Amino acid sequence: MTARVPDRLYIDRADRELYDDQTLKSEVFAQRENRDQFLFAMCLGFKHRVRRHLNSREGFFLAKNLRPKDEALIDSVALHESKSADVLADREQVFLIAEEYAHAGIRLLHGEATSGQPGSFIKRLELELFELLEDLHTD
Amino acid sequence: MRIERLILKNYRQFRQAQLKFAGRAGTDLHFLVGTNASGKTNLLNAINWCLYGDEPHLSKDSQQLPLLNLITLDRAEPGQIHEVSVEVWTETDEGALLTFVRRAPFSKDDERQVTQQGTTFTVHYTDTEGNTQICKDDAALPWVERFVPARIREFFFFDGERLDSYFKQATAQNIRHAVFDISQLELLESRVQKRLESTLDDLTKEAGRANPKIEKARAGQEQARAQLDDTNQRIEECERQIEIARASLAELAEKLKGVPDTIALDEERTQLDERLQDTKRLLKAKVDERETLLIESGSLLMLWPAISGAQRLIDEKRKLQELPPPVDKALLDDVLRTATCSVCGRPLDDESGRRVHALLQEVELASQSMHRLQEMEIPLYGFKEEVELFRGRVEVIAGEIDQHEKTLEAFAARKTQIDRELAGYNEALISRWYIERTTFEQTRDQNQQRLGALLSMRTEAEKDFSEAQEQLAKELKKEERVRELRRKVSFCKRAVEVVRATREAIVTETRQRIEAETKRYFFKLVWKRATYSDVRISDDYGIRLIHSMGYECLGSLAASERELLALAFTLALHRASGFDSPILIDTPVARISGEQRGKFAQVLCEVSTSKQIVLLFTPAEYSEDVSRHLSGRASSRFELRPLAGELETKVEVL
Repeated sequence: MTARVPDRLYIDRADRELYDDQTLKSEVFAQRENRDQFLFAMCLGFKHRVRRHLNSREGFFLAKNLRPKDEALIDSVALHESKSADVLADREQVFLIAEEYAHAGIRLLHGEATSGQPGSFIKRLELELFELLEDLHTD
Repeated sequence: MRIERLILKNYRQFRQAQLKFAGRAGTDLHFLVGTNASGKTNLLNAINWCLYGDEPHLSKDSQQLPLLNLITLDRAEPGQIHEVSVEVWTETDEGALLTFVRRAPFSKDDERQVTQQGTTFTVHYTDTEGNTQICKDDAALPWVERFVPARIREFFFFDGERLDSYFKQATAQNIRHAVFDISQLELLESRVQKRLESTLDDLTKEAGRANPKIEKARAGQEQARAQLDDTNQRIEECERQIEIARASLAELAEKLKGVPDTIALDEERTQLDERLQDTKRLLKAKVDERETLLIESGSLLMLWPAISGAQRLIDEKRKLQELPPPVDKALLDDVLRTATCSVCGRPLDDESGRRVHALLQEVELASQSMHRLQEMEIPLYGFKEEVELFRGRVEVIAGEIDQHEKTLEAFAARKTQIDRELAGYNEALISRWYIERTTFEQTRDQNQQRLGALLSMRTEAEKDFSEAQEQLAKELKKEERVRELRRKVSFCKRAVEVVRATREAIVTETRQRIEAETKRYFFKLVWKRATYSDVRISDDYGIRLIHSMGYECLGSLAASERELLALAFTLALHRASGFDSPILIDTPVARISGEQRGKFAQVLCEVSTSKQIVLLFTPAEYSEDVSRHLSGRASSRFELRPLAGELETKVEVL
């Protein structure tokens, strides 16, 4: 068991320019904090089940900025990944899982947001989410 | 009387010009043709300047120029005197000659400043025996009054375009003054009536000196009369303002017929712009709200397998009562601290100690995880609700966005429609018309209210005056000493009443005569005879044109028809006035076209059999319709030819 609780969450240094990309900022991240951008990237990475190891780490936002619902999301991902509740005691591991999903997710997000017409990403997202919702109800 | 000759020297663009208006049996018609700025209107001004000392038809450009011809001015040496002179030679019916001459010397200084050195006015009257009488300056003025009195000269020497505006401004007042002036009642009023009234005042003052009560009554009557006169003047002014407002409103109504209300449309357009901006802001807020919903709820949907997995785990742990854990952590802490089992009291050996430590770690580990699971429980159930509501919320927001977009489309469409309605219109001009209309409506309404009050005041003032007169009469009757005076006063009063009644009778008769002649001339001039049935000048001097369907239609006349009506009225005034002085009309048919010009020419030919008529045409006015009627009948024809530089005009006989 590890008692160390990291004080921040990290991104890969190379991802900074993706988070700062103007298209992404206007299409997805308009006036959103780093925390929200990270979490959305994490969700996208999880949706596609892609994790990538961080090569060089750079602090992105402080852990104290995580709200309870944000922590719940991150913990859910860690639980799903490790299949054991014990992982929840290891905050480093929990954060690492989130960071690796976010690392994969931001690339996927950048690709999707910059591939279509301006304003089309949100439209495609809406359609995909409705499909997910359908699948949910079917399940 | 007729103008026999007009001689101009150095008068504006006429350096040396002489026009002889030779009469011919059966006709005394003359015309001049000249382009714009050739000097037609300045011929009219020349006659006015000669006879009356002013130039009422001067253009704005000419107002800046000196009277002295510019070529003469340019050639003049400093200190040299050059004279402007205009001579109007007239001939009476009896064959006597009456010559009006006005001269004005000018000098130029070293800085090319020109100064007029006064003016002289002389009248030469030569009777049929050859005897000549010469009068100068003020002494000559009565001769002018015999020719064309100053007060009514605008009916003899006038600009044809002015005719159109004649009926626009205070019609009834114009007509009342015209009838009064033409009736030549000024003599009756100023000489006879005023003299009688003055004598009456003197007599009553004399009686007042004999008796203070009479003086008091006299002063009271005077005050009451002054009050009544003042009220009457105010009523007249009020009525004039109402007429002006009414005429202007009729004119504006014509202008605004079919024209969009630019002020209202412009206001609507401004409001639409504001509402467009508001709706755009609302739309953007909804779009942002939708994006936020998609991002936030989208995160949940994408993580749903993890979220639902976590929920299931929590439910399991809750079923297994592993939330919270059953081990008393504090107890284990205490055992390790005291190195004594708190159950049996035995000291802990190494093995026991390691096992308690491991158990505590396990408890701590389990507690931390379970603690986290417990903390996750509430947010996870919140996520479930959020996901369930997601579709509904998205659809609601989509509906609102759709509504805003439709509203924006509707606003944009209405703006386009307004722009289309206003296209081609001079918005600023039309807005001004609407503002003018509102102003005139307010003026009319305010003056009508004022008039009502003034009419009441007049009734009171008349009553006060009547009472004051009675009081004075009573006091005069009481006083024996003023019996003789009383007799004279009574005589004067009766005489004043007779004069007034005579005046009213003359005015009424003149009005009726003018009405009949106006109608006669109008139906000769107008193109659409069958459209109109009557022309009336009522007791209040309002001119009414009656449509064949029975309603009054003066306000809806076209400008050309209005000009013909004004011309008919003017000719009627001439017949009623008894003055056979000539008529000079500048641009007589400017607003009249087609067949009406021919009729106009015909009527003038008829009038010219008994009166001299001089017409000043532009080439465009002197159309075939006009020349067909006039050229054969004209006694003389002239052309005004501006020379190079337009500083001089030559008069050529055609």
